Amino acid sequence: MRIFDPHVHMTSRTTDDYEAMAAAGVRAVVEPSFWLGQPRTSPGSFADYFDALIGWEPFRAGQFGIRHFATIALNPKEANDPRCREVLELVPRYLDKDAVVAVGEIGYDSMTPQEDEAFAAQLGLAVEFDLPALVHTPHRDKQRGTQRSLAVVRESGIEPGRVVIDHLNEVTVELVRDSGCWLGFSIYPDTKMSPPRMVELLRRYGTERMLVNSAADWGRSDPLLTLRTGEAMLAAGFGEDDVDRVLWRNPVEFYGASGKLDLSDDEAPAGEFAGNSIKRGGA
Amino acid sequence: MNLRFGYGTNGFANHRLGDALAVLAEQGYDGVALTLDHHHLDPYAPGLARRVSGLATRLIELGLSVVVETGARYLLDPRRKHAPTLLHDDREVRLDFLLRAVSIASDLGAEAVSCWSGVRPPSVDPQLAWDRLVDGCARLTEAASKAGVPVGFEPEPGMFVQDLAGWRTLHRALGMPRAFGLTLDIGHCRCLEPEPIPECIATAAPYLVNVQIEDMRRGVHEHLEFGEGEIDFPPVLRALSAAGYRGLIGVELPRHSHAAPEVARRSLAFLRKAAGQPITAAAKTAAPPGQRRPSGTVPGPDVLRAALACVDDGGWLDEALRRVAADPSVISRLFPAAARRCGRGPVGVPGWTADEAARAVLLATLPAEHTAGQARALYRHGDAAEKRAVLRALPLLPLGPSAVELLHDAIRTNDTRLVAAALGPYAVHLDAAAWRQAVLKCVFMGIPLSVVDGLEHRADAELAAMLAGVADERDAAGRQLPADAAALLDRLTAEKGI
Repeated sequence: MRIFDPHVHMTSRTTDDYEAMAAAGVRAVVEPSFWLGQPRTSPGSFADYFDALIGWEPFRAGQFGIRHFATIALNPKEANDPRCREVLELVPRYLDKDAVVAVGEIGYDSMTPQEDEAFAAQLGLAVEFDLPALVHTPHRDKQRGTQRSLAVVRESGIEPGRVVIDHLNEVTVELVRDSGCWLGFSIYPDTKMSPPRMVELLRRYGTERMLVNSAADWGRSDPLLTLRTGEAMLAAGFGEDDVDRVLWRNPVEFYGASGKLDLSDDEAPAGEFAGNSIKRGGA
Repeated sequence: MNLRFGYGTNGFANHRLGDALAVLAEQGYDGVALTLDHHHLDPYAPGLARRVSGLATRLIELGLSVVVETGARYLLDPRRKHAPTLLHDDREVRLDFLLRAVSIASDLGAEAVSCWSGVRPPSVDPQLAWDRLVDGCARLTEAASKAGVPVGFEPEPGMFVQDLAGWRTLHRALGMPRAFGLTLDIGHCRCLEPEPIPECIATAAPYLVNVQIEDMRRGVHEHLEFGEGEIDFPPVLRALSAAGYRGLIGVELPRHSHAAPEVARRSLAFLRKAAGQPITAAAKTAAPPGQRRPSGTVPGPDVLRAALACVDDGGWLDEALRRVAADPSVISRLFPAAARRCGRGPVGVPGWTADEAARAVLLATLPAEHTAGQARALYRHGDAAEKRAVLRALPLLPLGPSAVELLHDAIRTNDTRLVAAALGPYAVHLDAAAWRQAVLKCVFMGIPLSVVDGLEHRADAELAAMLAGVADERDAAGRQLPADAAALLDRLTAEKGI
């Protein structure tokens, strides 16, 4: 089984995770920029974080033969903090980078006017830089948040086929399916979505435009739930081709729309010398 | 120092050319800078082909290398000195002369053809003068490229292009063609360049095809015998040697013809002493056969640009260079796009990939006053590949030691690609302590020591002591030093023993 995790926050994970993911068949990941679990207090904090997403983290991933891509944006939660909003001026510089394959995570957290503004502005950047967009849906008031997100996407003029609406569940799936956007599902140990529920959704709605991710971060989460979902699909009677479509070809197609998703094999262990600083203990 | 000294025949104006060559060969010079003039291989007199062929044979017999100079005063016009230049209305006369000089140089096996812009005539406005100069140089360079002889364009105080900054602007305007190089006059650097001479040499090194040398004073464009001006020559010659320059270093004393043999003798003795060579050395240090251009450790941007010609980018790089030359700020978007446009494969220059070569050429195209700021910003906001490209380009750029902070940043990281790139030729600007720590870090990170430029020369007893400490720790842990580090330690220990 080859796996492309289209949403996982690897900066929050250990090398044990990378090792287990590689063993499970994960060959590529997209790491969306988001918040730190505690508030940032300045744009500089974002800059260092973005740098890590396009510098150090791909290097770490490369040690385990995993290709690492990123999405860059001011996240919805921190769009409300006036100390952080200046980062919007920094975002374009990062959107030009080779491994930045979408604008994201953008969308709503508390559905404030500030979030409206940042969301619309960054959808505009996606159009300007010809990139797909990754839209986060809020944990609270999810259904109305999803509806409102779809309305903003429509207004922005971006093609729905270049947008994924993420963290969906049984309640929000149909709204998004009818919009023409891609559907993202974050499989969590207890909360957002579980492998058995995901299998049920795939059975009901098919595999087209469906993206399955672990969204693993610094909270309780599991980067192997992509694999578990694949296994559950097989157990439920899906064929291997269906699994490959959901766990590999769909994310490749979605992020491939950036024109920058380079999965050629020659670069897989990027910059690896005979030894390296992570596997052998740092300098 | 393996430097090759020559003498300008314009300093032997009262000698027949054959006699001048004989005197210079006798004194031990390696070559001559031949100024084509009415009495020295007149390109307009009959029997040119026969005379060129005879001279070529004579040069071989005498063991003299040659560069062709085109600065004769009254060859083209008996009334106006140096006229017409490429800037005058009748500039075609000058261009015809320069094209003849290229043919002659090619037939003589010369290492370069040298020329200058001339003084702008008051009646020609600066923009028109510039357009004429660019056009003339482009046509000359095309011919030189076909003939296989590089142009050495010389900034000359008081002329339209009078300093290195002007040369760089012209170089960019021409699209940085490989056959357009630099003739650097050491005295001129003292006269008017803002940087100390060794730094002028270091930044100009990738383009150097010809060097002229004499003493001079700040602000006074007068070619003086060695010792009469203000130049400290040993550091200058060391810089030429360190830059890997292998072309001729030609003494340029055109107003000393009255005492030419004696001045030439004193000059060579002075230069050899300053270079730490034996004064009486008779053995000539010949240029390697078939090699016209000096070869440094760093390929110049022109070499990288030429190598990129094989990359199918749909003309993207040409257009990008044009845009960067016109508006430096656009580099912030072109630099990250270079890998997608030009690819990441090898380009035929050892150790260089298309993306890194293209990015280096983009940086080298920036107007000099923007180079430092943009290099810093591109590094600061770059992904790992962009950062690496900036680090690798540093020795090609007119920066002097000012960008050494980028090396410190890169060496602080744990990214092997960046640490390795930081230890290239630009690491000459790291102080000894920082350099040793960086080498030691390579050992810890498993980076092959072959990436460390100048390791052979720079490794010292202190580094040996540090390596020995690592060896002890490794030994205690039942592990070994990497083979290259162990070999280095062995060598350093053996040297200390002796």
